[in-house]
Amino acid sequence: MKRLGLYLHFPFCKNKCAYCDFYSVVGYDKVEKYMDALMLQCEDYSVSCEPYAIDSIFLGGGTPTIVPQKQMCDLVDCIYDNFNVTVDAEVTIEANPATVTQGQLKSYVKAGINRLSIGAQSACNNELKALSRIHTFEEFEHTFKMARKAGFKNINIDLMYGIPEQTMESFKKSLKEIVSLDAEHISLYNLKIEDSTPFGAIRDSLPLPDEDVEFAMYEYAIDYLTRKGYVQYEISNFAKKGYECKHNMKYWTCQEYLGLGTAAHSYFRNTRFSFIKDIDSFVAAIEDPDNGNVITDENYTISPSERVGEYIMLSLRLNRGININEFKRLFDMDFEKMFEDLLPAYVGSGFMDKTAVGYAFTPKGMYVSNYILSSMLEFSSEIDKNIANGKDK
Amino acid sequence: MSDRQKRIRNFSIIAHIDHGKSTLADRLLENTQTLTSREMEDQVLDNMDLERERGITIKARAVNLQYKAEDGETYSLNLIDTPGHVDFNYEVSRSLNACDGALLVVDASQGIEAQTLANAYLAIDADLEIVPVVNKIDLPAADPDRVRAEIEDVIGIPAEDCPCISAKTGVNIPDVLKRIVTDVPAPKGDENAPLKCLIFDSYYDSYLGVVVYVRVFDGKLKAGQRIRMMNTGAEFDVIEVGYMAPFGLQKATELAAGEVGYITASIKNVRDTQVGDTITTVENGITEPLPGFKQALPMVYSGIYPEDGAKYDDLRDALEKLQLNDASLMFEPETSAALGFGFRCGFLGLLHMEIIQERLEREFNLDIITTAPSVIYKITKTDGEVLYIDNPSNYPDQGEIAESAEPMVKANIITPTEYVGGIMDLCQDRRGIFHDMKYLDSTRAELHYELPLNEIVYDFFDALKSRSRGYASLDYELIGHKPSKLVKLDILLNGEVVDALSFIVHTDKAYGRGRKIAEKLKENIPRQLFEVPVQAAIGGKVIARETVKALRKDVLAKCYGGDITRKKKLLEKQKEGKKKMRKLGSVEVTPEAFMAVLKLDE
Repeated sequence: MKRLGLYLHFPFCKNKCAYCDFYSVVGYDKVEKYMDALMLQCEDYSVSCEPYAIDSIFLGGGTPTIVPQKQMCDLVDCIYDNFNVTVDAEVTIEANPATVTQGQLKSYVKAGINRLSIGAQSACNNELKALSRIHTFEEFEHTFKMARKAGFKNINIDLMYGIPEQTMESFKKSLKEIVSLDAEHISLYNLKIEDSTPFGAIRDSLPLPDEDVEFAMYEYAIDYLTRKGYVQYEISNFAKKGYECKHNMKYWTCQEYLGLGTAAHSYFRNTRFSFIKDIDSFVAAIEDPDNGNVITDENYTISPSERVGEYIMLSLRLNRGININEFKRLFDMDFEKMFEDLLPAYVGSGFMDKTAVGYAFTPKGMYVSNYILSSMLEFSSEIDKNIANGKDK
Repeated sequence: MSDRQKRIRNFSIIAHIDHGKSTLADRLLENTQTLTSREMEDQVLDNMDLERERGITIKARAVNLQYKAEDGETYSLNLIDTPGHVDFNYEVSRSLNACDGALLVVDASQGIEAQTLANAYLAIDADLEIVPVVNKIDLPAADPDRVRAEIEDVIGIPAEDCPCISAKTGVNIPDVLKRIVTDVPAPKGDENAPLKCLIFDSYYDSYLGVVVYVRVFDGKLKAGQRIRMMNTGAEFDVIEVGYMAPFGLQKATELAAGEVGYITASIKNVRDTQVGDTITTVENGITEPLPGFKQALPMVYSGIYPEDGAKYDDLRDALEKLQLNDASLMFEPETSAALGFGFRCGFLGLLHMEIIQERLEREFNLDIITTAPSVIYKITKTDGEVLYIDNPSNYPDQGEIAESAEPMVKANIITPTEYVGGIMDLCQDRRGIFHDMKYLDSTRAELHYELPLNEIVYDFFDALKSRSRGYASLDYELIGHKPSKLVKLDILLNGEVVDALSFIVHTDKAYGRGRKIAEKLKENIPRQLFEVPVQAAIGGKVIARETVKALRKDVLAKCYGGDITRKKKLLEKQKEGKKKMRKLGSVEVTPEAFMAVLKLDE
């Protein structure tokens, strides 16, 4: 049976963080009708997913833990009813500290959710405040301990670097505090200032650490986490052995996933698509599919050449990099020949390593990976063609 | 004088930029009811977009007006517009030679400016009757009496009863028309003598071929005649003659001595109809052409390259099309190691260069890279050979040069007195030799300098404007080459010389300019995977160095929720950005970097 990951988006937040550009709204008044729509959408996809075994489910947001526990558990039941979920499926829910209770966490475990991802971001309260997060580090620690008590044996902690007011010292402190909790997985994200966010508007006045310091933080973290028993397996992800996030691995290894809910992205049956970024229009389209309501936002089929580009771009995010034999087998192309003008220079300058089976970025290379990938890959003609054929806006 | 000639007046309007020449022309058209105001699009004569935007006339134009005067007679007034910029002085002088009089328009608040004077002298040289007109009397700062006195004092022509008008509001325009009839002499010339015509403009029309604007001095011009361009030697059969009506060409049976009009003769190339040339008949023609013909020679050169190398043919086509209407634009293929295939182009001056660049970009939709403008240097080698160098790439090694010389100009600057100090500093800084200064009145002064043209092509005009809050005006004429201590300055990126960035500079200026260029380049070269040293060097000696630091961070940390498309679009956008870059050796440079080094004056 083919495998499929399932993502469900919960676009609600108690408060919008100043750096976040993902789709969510503040307030709870639409939660109920949205949850109903999500369940309807699960039913809609039930048939087309019949040939698939679901081995990962990711309940992401926004803040999924805002949804009342009864409704969330009903939804999880609905998923199990409509899809073939494997017994060993990884089922993750994202939680923000201070938005979740012990009872909630217990009910999640009972419903079959077996992985928790908590956004700690920093162990320094001044930095959390600068990020306009609503929690303190103490509240995070409390949530973490509750989760353990509730029975979560697989927990991820999100951490950020390059945030306002952060210094090398404060970052080291955050890392140390986080590592002492002994989570199974740590995601370490570099704060990106997006133009469309409140941070974007005040970019120049933000007290951000400079680029060299950020890179030093990144290098330090790689070294420190490795010493503490975490293995880096992707640009921003570290895990104890056997705890790599199955769901995210699907993204990076070009496997299929179905994203349900507003603004959710899918790669399903060779097509990339997303649903419209608006709760009301999404709900309307689900409730009344025949009324000319369009539910997809982007929607296009991946051509063979585009798949090659995606494969390279995504594989190189992983520490193990590109396996040139697998590449040859999948695409009948010679990776080394394709990039014979570039690879020796990247290896020679320390941006890439030649591994036993192929090529992988060094930390230095990962840190400028967009620059390098944009020299290697060409998507425009493909994207243009797809836009012409599909409904991409 | 024939009866016909008695009712003809050939005149032009001369003025400093922005003193209202084109607006006055519009009013004259309106007042002679050649056009009703409703039919009029503002400023009919300036019909290139660029001309309207910049408020200047680039090409000469001519129009025939029918004016019913108070004496009951209808006069045929030929208004010959002149380009309003020093780059086109030669064209101005030819246009003026086609006239018998000129309206000298002076702004009632600003008074006489550099080009007022330059144009007035050209008109005097051409023996024209000058009719002063004080314009913009509607402005609060207008002081017509002061300006009239200034015209009398500075130019030396009577102005006490000259028309004071507002072309904008239309006040006193009929006065101007009256003056044209009473003050501008009627043309002379013998209709029965052999044909003698002056070409003062031409343009290419895809149906008619070249349309040639002429003033007939003697004889008659009509269809079927075999004519010869006396300087170029080209011969043609006249197909059509006529007048320039405001709405277009108006066919006539003949053009006789004293008249202004057009001819067509299936002429393919404006090069055969050069401004200033004399037309006569092949049979029974005259033997002496009109004096004053000059081949239009470029003074400023630069390389023009397509940003996208694949657009080379498009660029050539565009230049060829522009050349159809612009005999003074020169170009020939050139190759640069840095920029690939492009063209070395010669221009009459900086404005001409900017106009061509803008037209290439706007009318032909081309993205181009222009190298720093160069003048023509005269190099005498140790073996006695004399070279004229317009491209720094061809500059000989210092050891082979016995003497280097650069073109000099006589510059005439008019400025409010409070800016004299700053302008003198500027001229000093630009290696100017002070000749004299005189006060036009208590508030304004006229400065005369001898300046190297090489300094003027480096944004001298912008610097002058910024030091005088826009009030100073400049006019200049070339006076020949003078020996000078010149060196070639090379720019190295990552240790390699970039030929397109080399230029020739006076020894004393080399250090300062080298340092500035290195700084500017540093700002305009994006960070790349490796550190890029930017150096300026003379011969092998590095005189300035800057470093573009290596790129440290360019990563999408979070590939959120499986949104792969977003990441692809991001990379694609980045890739598009990179495609615009020029690869100089191993270094990627934005096209803007080439422009940035052209604008060094802060």
